[in-house]
Order: sequence, then structure tokens, then C-alpha cells
Amino acid sequence: MNILELKEVTKNFDGIKAVDNLSFFLKEGSITSLIGPNGAGKTTVFNLITNYLTPEKGSIYYQGEEITGSLPHRIANMGIGRLFQDVRVFNKLTALENVFVAIKKNCGENPFTSLLFHRRVAKQEEKNMAIGLKWLEFVGLSEKKETLAEDLSYGQQKLLSLARLLANDARLLLLDEPISGIHPEMIERILSLIKRLVQEGRTIFIIEHNIGAVLKVSDWVMLLDGGNLVASGLPSEIKQDQTLREVYLGV
Amino acid sequence: MNYLLHILIMINIYLVLAFSLNLLIGYTGLLSICHAAFYGIGAYISTLLMINLGMNFFLALLLSILGAMLISLLVSLPSLRLKGDYFILCTIGFQLIVFTILYNWISLTRGPYGISGIPTPSLFGFEFSTIPRYFLLTLIMGIISFIIIRRILISPFGRLLKAIREDELATQSLGKDIFKVKILSFLIAAGIAAISGSLFAHYVTYIDPTSFTLEESIFIATIIIVGGMGNLKGPFVGTVLLFIIPELLRFLGIPDAVAANLRQMIYALLLIAFMYFRPQGIAGEYKFK
Ligand SMILES: Nc1ncnc2c1ncn2[C@@H]1O[C@H](COP(=O)(O)OP(=O)(O)OP(=O)(O)O)[C@@H](O)[C@H]1O
Ligand SMILES: [Mg+2]
Repeated sequence: MNILELKEVTKNFDGIKAVDNLSFFLKEGSITSLIGPNGAGKTTVFNLITNYLTPEKGSIYYQGEEITGSLPHRIANMGIGRLFQDVRVFNKLTALENVFVAIKKNCGENPFTSLLFHRRVAKQEEKNMAIGLKWLEFVGLSEKKETLAEDLSYGQQKLLSLARLLANDARLLLLDEPISGIHPEMIERILSLIKRLVQEGRTIFIIEHNIGAVLKVSDWVMLLDGGNLVASGLPSEIKQDQTLREVYLGV
Repeated sequence: MNYLLHILIMINIYLVLAFSLNLLIGYTGLLSICHAAFYGIGAYISTLLMINLGMNFFLALLLSILGAMLISLLVSLPSLRLKGDYFILCTIGFQLIVFTILYNWISLTRGPYGISGIPTPSLFGFEFSTIPRYFLLTLIMGIISFIIIRRILISPFGRLLKAIREDELATQSLGKDIFKVKILSFLIAAGIAAISGSLFAHYVTYIDPTSFTLEESIFIATIIIVGGMGNLKGPFVGTVLLFIIPELLRFLGIPDAVAANLRQMIYALLLIAFMYFRPQGIAGEYKFK
């Protein structure tokens, strides 16, 4: 089944076509990677899916339902989570608090409930603690739970924002360069976590420049250039594809 | 003794203002410059209810809180749709509008003539009519406000406010309706500011619009910026410091006419110096980016 589908989506910036009449779909439970040179429009595709940018033309469907133009927080609540290219953790919150914020249906987030129903909120917080610890442990950050996010390394911040997505119960994870700029051990760790998440039935959509690494884990690869899909296929096919060399090396 | 208590009463009143504004500036990251408007709205609503309807102080206080909360929607709904500087300008606009209304709606507020003879509060026959008694009232109200604010700030709601302050986009990407959360934070801050207004009016027993000006709003924001943003210590440090400075000037024997101007200059210099050299304030944990 297709979990996400884009139909003829277009987005211009001052006359530059960042995304040009783009159509594709993602299979539920798969890992798909979106590769392409700098400025190809990859992040813009994520911004369009989450409606941080609204497409000028075309439509976007999630689990068969049209989400074009829906409010970003509604889209998130439907199950589309996002890891940002510039991580965007909550610097002045601890790792654990970062994950708490992601938890859905948290009654204490209503100030009046927090003020008047102390017990209920305390109980909810106990549950939150269990969820928070579970996901921090999943990504291997249990020992850092009391550390402020700003004091974590860049790789740890990426792990933390992954934990945040999982606590948010995202079913479709949009990961914008999850393994760029971090050291090789951390890359292995993140890739193996991603594989585990797919086994649990989640769908992963990765933007990456580290093509060698993502080709190893992907089920499907799409190559974007100038806002167009110039090639797509199995990792083994894309590796052989002449367009890949043309796009990246200009030969 | 009464002189000292007078200063402590004013400090209590301003602590409540500072704590409530810190909810917006320090926790939610919203530099709102209209807190004196809610302060004034609280003062006028409870004054008018007591004078015109003979209502009990505590009921009038409650209604002034609700009134300020309701009116806060008039500014938060439009202004929170705007970003950064435009948001700040919108709150300044609201501040000016409120002042103009208080100044010109003479049939209701008596405009520039002000309202005098504001009754003192009483509870079960106990009149808060002397300075020590009024100090007690402001202390109790101050403590209650502090407990309420603290409970809100350490709750999951407070955590969410901080998350919004740190990164709106990321908070939104986790499914949070940040617009709604900001409106709520505005609502609470306005309601608590009204408590200060009401306490002030029934203490000085005379109010006119000049107590609730844009300058006053800037002064309250200065308390937070100097004292420190984003925790419970900051507003406390800021309030005490900014109230001690004028008393020190007096202590040094500087004539009142000079001291008033000097005080304004010191406040302005402090504001600029802190913004420049220590944007997180004396005891704060957060600074504007
Ligand atoms: N908000 C925006 N306003 C104007 N132009 C933009 C905006 N966002 C992206 N662009 C432009 O659109 C094009 C595609 O940008 P995008 O960020 O999607 O590229 P990318 O493929 O993610 O690149 P990278 O690999 O460097 O992250 C670029 O030319 C960029 O300058
Ligand atoms: Mg990008």
C-alpha cells in the first residue's frame, strides 16, 4: 500500500523551480532515499509534505487522504514526523524533556488541567517518564537523559531528535540528512536503528548525501536534480545508472 | 516603618507583574510590550465595579482577572499571527489604544481627571485599611500568584512554552498547536497582571491613565530583561533591584525633581547595557537570539 503520494507538485521561488511537477509514491514499511546535489530541491520536498511550504500546484496524499494545505501540526498528528537538516533540538531542555514534549495527548499541556488536577497530571507524567526513558534507551542516550540538549554532540543531537520522533509516534519518518557530519560509528548506529524501525512497520524517507551508506539500507532510491526526478530504481540499478554520474560529476 | 512597608507593597505588586510577564518574555519567547495595559485594565475594572456596583473587592478582583483575560484575546489573536518585530509593534499598538481609551472615555473612566476615593478592600469585616494590613494583603496575593505561576511553569505546559521559545518549527513538527499555546500563555499573563492592577488601585485609592502608559510597559519589560529571563529568580532580582535604585538616589540626598529624571536615565542605560553585554539578564537562563 502507498503511505504517501505526491501528484504533479510544483513549488517556485522567485521564478526558480525548486520542485517541478514532481510525482512519486512511497510504499508503506519501506526505506526510500532521496538523493541529489546541493540545491536539487530535496529539503523543499520535505517542506511541501509537512506544509511548511504550500505547493503552487499539485496534491499530496497521506494514507489515501489529501493533506495539501493542512496545518503543519495536523499533518504531524496524522503521523508524519520529521528530522530536520539542522537538527533543531530544544537547546535549553534536557534530553528527557525534549522527548517529553513530543508525547501526544499529554493532559498536562493544558495549563488549567495542570493547575487544578495535579494528581491526574502527575500520573500522566509517570507514563511520560516510561515513554521517554524507553526511547532514549532505544537510541542509546539513557545516560544523557539529564543533559541539556545544547551540551550533546551533533551526532547525539541527531539521535535525540530521532527519539523525539518515535515518542511522537510518527509512522512516516522524514529524515533530512540523518548521517551527515557525524563520525562513522554513529552512522552505523543510526542506520541499524532505522532498519529496526522499518521492521516495526514504520516507513522511512531519507535525504542523504552519503550515498554509499544509504544505498546499503534503501529499498528504493530516487535521484532529484533541479526539482525533477531524473532517475529512480533499486539501489543496485541506481548505482549503475549513467544519470547518477552525470548529475554528480557532470560527466 | 510605614515607609519601608510602602516600598515592600509596591515591590509585591510589581513582582506579580514581573512574574506574569516572564511567562511571555522568558518562557514563551514573546517580547510583549503591553503589560501595563493589562495592569491598567485590572485596576479600572475592579475600581469601577466596586465604586459603581458596590461589589466586594474579591469578587471585583476575580471579574477584573476574567475581564483582562477576555480583552487579551483582542491583542493576542491578531498579534500572534505576526512574527518578530511585527508582533512587538502590535503589542505596542494595543498598549497605546488602551491608554487612549482610558484617557478619552470620560463618562466611564473620568479620563485625565482620574478616579479618586477608591474603597479599600475588606474581607468578613476585616478592613485592609492601614499600611501594615495592606502589606499583608499584597503579600498573600503575591504568594498565591507565585504558587499559581510556579505550578504552571513546572508543568508540562511550561515545558511546552520553553520548547516553543527554543524552536517553534520543531515544536509544530511534533503536532503541537503553537498558536493555541501562545494564546493561552497570553491569557494567563494578562489575568495575573490584572491582580497587580487591582491591588495597586485599592492601595493608592486614586488612579488615572498616566500609571498605565507605554513607558510603564517598557519599565516592566526592563525588570525582566535586567533580572533575567526564563526562570523564577530573574523577575525577583529585577524587581528588587529596580525598586532599590530610586530609593538609593533618595538616600544619597538627590532632590526629587532631579532623581526622577536620573532614574529614567538609569533604567534606560541598564536596559541598553544588559541587552548588549548580558542579554540573559542577571539570573536568567535564556536570551533573545
Ligand atoms: N524558503 C526559500 N526561499 C527561497 N528559496 C529557497 C527556499 N528554500 C529553498 N530555496 C531554494 O530552492 C532550491 C532548493 O533548495 P533545497 O533546500 O530544497 O535544496 P536541497 O536539495 O535540500 O539542498 P542541500 O543538499 O544543500 O540541502 C535552492 O536553490 C534554494 O536556494
Ligand atoms: Mg537540504
